[in-house]
Amino acid sequence: MDFDALISGLDRHTLDGITRGSIYALVALGYTMVYGVMKLINFAHSEVFMVGTWAVLGTYTAIGATAGMGVGMVIAATLLALLAAMLASAGTALAVERIAYRPLRKKGAPPLIFLITGIGCSIVLVETFGQVLRVIFGPPFGRVTVNIPSVLETTTLFEIGGLNITNTRLLIIVGAIAMMFALDTFVNKSRLGRGVRAVAQDPDTASLMGVNQERVIMLVFVLGGAMAGVAALLYSIQYDITKFDIGFFIGLKAFTAAVLGGIGNLRGALVGGLFLGIAEVYASIIWSSEWTNVTAFVVLVIILMFRPTGLLGESLGKARA
Amino acid sequence: MIRSSKTWQAVAFTAVAGLALSACGTTDTDGGGGSAGGDDCNFKIGVMGALSGANASIVLPSVDGADLALRQWDNDECEVELVKFDTEGDPAKATPVATQIAGDESFIGVIGGAFSGETRATKSIYNDAGVTMVSQSATATDLTQEDQVEVFHRLVPYDDYQGAAIAKYLTDEVGATKVFVVDNSEAYGEPLADRVEETLGDKMVQRDKTEVGQTDFAPTISKMESAQPDAIMYGGYIAEAAPLLKQIRDAGIDAPFVGGDGLYGADFGNAVGEAGEGAVVMCPCAPIEDDSTFAADFEEEFGSAPGAYAAEGYDAMSVFLAALDDGARDRASVEEFVDGYTGEGLSKEVAFDENGDVPQENVSYWAYKNEGGTLVPEVEVAP
Repeated sequence: MDFDALISGLDRHTLDGITRGSIYALVALGYTMVYGVMKLINFAHSEVFMVGTWAVLGTYTAIGATAGMGVGMVIAATLLALLAAMLASAGTALAVERIAYRPLRKKGAPPLIFLITGIGCSIVLVETFGQVLRVIFGPPFGRVTVNIPSVLETTTLFEIGGLNITNTRLLIIVGAIAMMFALDTFVNKSRLGRGVRAVAQDPDTASLMGVNQERVIMLVFVLGGAMAGVAALLYSIQYDITKFDIGFFIGLKAFTAAVLGGIGNLRGALVGGLFLGIAEVYASIIWSSEWTNVTAFVVLVIILMFRPTGLLGESLGKARA
Repeated sequence: MIRSSKTWQAVAFTAVAGLALSACGTTDTDGGGGSAGGDDCNFKIGVMGALSGANASIVLPSVDGADLALRQWDNDECEVELVKFDTEGDPAKATPVATQIAGDESFIGVIGGAFSGETRATKSIYNDAGVTMVSQSATATDLTQEDQVEVFHRLVPYDDYQGAAIAKYLTDEVGATKVFVVDNSEAYGEPLADRVEETLGDKMVQRDKTEVGQTDFAPTISKMESAQPDAIMYGGYIAEAAPLLKQIRDAGIDAPFVGGDGLYGADFGNAVGEAGEGAVVMCPCAPIEDDSTFAADFEEEFGSAPGAYAAEGYDAMSVFLAALDDGARDRASVEEFVDGYTGEGLSKEVAFDENGDVPQENVSYWAYKNEGGTLVPEVEVAP
């Protein structure tokens, strides 16, 4: 146990934790929105993220983006990759909804069935990238880790109190928080967002009031998917890799973050994600990385014991502007 | 259009029945082959390991090596089939494979496990069934030094020696006095790093542990930044070494990076990219001469130069084939033959001591340096 290391580099470790947590938080939004509206855990959401990372790789490959390009090209390539990742992830989320959930909803299937079809979709997507596409196209698909070109190379922008702030780190934190702020505003201020909140509060009354429930459900899948797409781009920028099963751990952690913050609550996802990221990094410093998961889940259990509905514990429907 | 659900049921039933029938057919043929024991020398040899996934490049060449040995085998009496089982290096996936091999009497031996974790998980299954194992690359110390099983043999030395060799390379060749040691907390990486730590003594500055499947190494990197090491040692496999090394270099730490034979795969250079330039991989395997007949034959059969443990795979198969040449016709006699086997192998002089280990004096350790994506032999190190 090395508490000295934690204390002496507290600012650095907190920043590492926030970076990690920002990505958890963005993915957590997908879980939390779907849960808020449908009371359903979309277990295929981790793969929505995974597809996003592949879209980034695909975009870079298609336009031939590599490390060491000019500033203008880097910005253009990154924006294009962002767009592609958001579209791919949102599209995947929508497809999952259409294929795995909507037919069951029409037939009034019990809630448990949705979990199984969700897990089924998740496995299908993982195996598509790990096996099916490999057989058809060969590499880079398959069960190996694939490098994504580091188009945006890490450079130190400025220093605060001996702490190096790099461009990628800044982009991840600012990008994640900006996206969450935008989503929060959208849900709380816009007309469509009001529909989302209405369905979350009381689906039957909402439809009586003229809210198209199916459209709201599609909207939350698309929004959650788009956020996962943003997370996929930020993840690709930070770690430069993807893999067929890369969504598994991120998905699990993001789901944990959503529960930690209060599932169904958008701001809870942010709080939960950052909290989890920081807790993990602190644990890795005090002990080592093999204690990351132990600590993360012990923290989750303890917090849920005292606050069973999570840190912020509100539902999407009750969230006020 | 067929719309009636009755019709569908009929179609489904026919399909299922057809499948069942064809399945019976397969079983019958297999049954015929399975009765192969006895005098008509018709056997199978299994090979199990990570044939797919991030670590496959450490295993596949040895499987091809074994295949080559079989193709070059000259024996009119016997018919041997090499059956490949993909475990992805995962102990949980290896156990059913072992049960399957153990239960099929036509298997007289198995080459593997390729990794230590899967070997540990399966060796008692093979032992109960009396299936001889000859591993081409499982190096964990405890496999032969604790809970020994009769049937396990290996062509590589255990990690105690490899760890000592890595430590020696770090101190003598790199001249390091502040080594940062990282491992992957798993059956292979952790004991290897333990041994490096032990040998380095006060020349190790800090130790950290990571996990299999980890991608964010920020905490480890910040520990490195404060420890200021003059060399970094990693005990683990390629899948995690690649992102770790990239993040180390991204953080501006340029201390030499040295890994064990878990990184000794053709994919290593690809996976680490530019960040891996100059990284060193230690392996208890002598380089295969480019102009040897083995290298030429291998290249001709498989279209690539022999990679990681290809010679060991070849040797493992040769040991089994020698047993059949010697007249061994069942599991017990194969086991007996292999226990007493001595012979000049491609990788080293092959013999097994009472624990199933290859005698230490027959082994040479080499440091390979990653130059432009390929591992080039750098220097031999005596532990």
